[in-house]
Amino acid sequence: MKEYAIETKDLKIYYGKKEVIKGINLRIPKNTIFAIMGPSGCGKSTLLRSFNRLLELNKDAKIEGEVLIFGKNIYGEDVDPISIRREVGMVFQYPNPFPHLTVYDNIAIGLKLNNLVKSKEEMDKRVRWALEKASLWDEVKDRLYEYPASLSGGQKQRLVIARALALKPKILLMDEPTANIDPVGTKNIEKLLFELKKDYTIVLVTHEPAQAARTSDFVGFLYLGKLIEVGPTKYIFEKPKNELTEKYLTGSLV
Amino acid sequence: MSGYKIRKGKDIVFIIGITILTFLGILPLFHIITTVFINGVPIIVKKGISFLTNTLSNGGIGPAITGTFILIFLSSLIGLPIALLVGIYAYEYPESKIGRATKTLLQIMLEFPTILVGVFVMSMIAIPMGTYSAIAGAFALAIILMPYVAVYTQEAMREIPFTYREASFGLGLSRVKVIFQILVPLSKRGILTGVLIGLAKVAGETAPLLFTVGGLYESYPASIMKPVGAIPLLIYTLVQSPSKTDHMMAWGASLILLLIFLLIFIPIRLKLKEVRL
Repeated sequence: MKEYAIETKDLKIYYGKKEVIKGINLRIPKNTIFAIMGPSGCGKSTLLRSFNRLLELNKDAKIEGEVLIFGKNIYGEDVDPISIRREVGMVFQYPNPFPHLTVYDNIAIGLKLNNLVKSKEEMDKRVRWALEKASLWDEVKDRLYEYPASLSGGQKQRLVIARALALKPKILLMDEPTANIDPVGTKNIEKLLFELKKDYTIVLVTHEPAQAARTSDFVGFLYLGKLIEVGPTKYIFEKPKNELTEKYLTGSLV
Repeated sequence: MSGYKIRKGKDIVFIIGITILTFLGILPLFHIITTVFINGVPIIVKKGISFLTNTLSNGGIGPAITGTFILIFLSSLIGLPIALLVGIYAYEYPESKIGRATKTLLQIMLEFPTILVGVFVMSMIAIPMGTYSAIAGAFALAIILMPYVAVYTQEAMREIPFTYREASFGLGLSRVKVIFQILVPLSKRGILTGVLIGLAKVAGETAPLLFTVGGLYESYPASIMKPVGAIPLLIYTLVQSPSKTDHMMAWGASLILLLIFLLIFIPIRLKLKEVRL
């Protein structure tokens, strides 16, 4: 049996009594970019946050079904959400480096507070590694001790990616990472995604079908909490089987 | 006249109106500050440095200044840690029964008549101890300090955008680390503002000290279990005296109180500008 990076089994999510994710079965292969696209309010961000148990910050949210990360159900009885979140990193819609920490400390904080790095040399190395991985090192190497306020939106977002990478996760969840970024920044981040794919599995939520088409290997179309269609990006965009998908891609979905 | 001119005219009248009202609003503040300076400076100039160090009968308010600093320090020591934790609790568990009760209680405490705090502490501490003391005064002041710091802490933390909370948990941090290592430092500006306002309040409080600290102006305090003086309390005592010299001393003490207040306020205010969200 093939092991997937992420697999969901009849996943249902409720906010209070309202069902927002309505029974989703999904398989995401390793080292691919999997895009989840759909109109706003369809449950993309909610679904994404169930993959690293960040959804639990919302006290109204209730989850049924299973989410398997590399074959292990993360909603099993004695699973610690903290270890899941280290394994499954997350990048958010709004570029949110911690404003009170320097560029260096933004990368270091996760490692430091989790006691994952012993010495200063090791920390320096890891910070540099993460920034290089996120293609940001050359731009910030002379301003590691400045605050992120001086960075552009795209740089901030790559800093956040570096912050997540520093913990050496296996999966990266990205919730519309370019929604607040200018076109040049967006291009840089999309280029970075291809690089990262070699080492990580990336789940990319986007409300832009064009971005899904440019970047992803597989794509799932989510509509009103249901997964309407899933498949290799090429096929979905060339020949969608479902009428709703076709309507969405041609912009005629009301 | 065209509609545009009428609108523009209204605009100008409105701006002049609020400018005058604002000016009237801040006028008393300037008046207080200038009066204190005008009346306070001569006596301090006349006495020189001895005004700050001598005992009262030698024309100085040294023990009162010391007492005020002791009281600020002790009440912070007692009040700040509790206030911080209460504020964090109210932020972290806003929906729980205790959380909601805490928030209501804090609001009540903010407006609570301070003289009652004095009476309460007198009956709880001063009477059982059999003496007025610095520690009793510090307790009274801590009770007054606490709600300010707690409310400001809670408000400051509530203003942090949710995305930073998500980001912190997303790094695989425990709740304790998220709160104390990231969210509290992130909101330190708001928290320090609360501390500042609380300290300024405490430095100037008179009523809660009336039945708790006793007053000590002829010698320096030797123990926190014994009576101490405080500048506001000294001003209160001096003003009640019929002697002109005492009134002069009261003005001098007022100026010192004002300077201490500004000394607390200005540096922290400047420092706070550094961090921006």
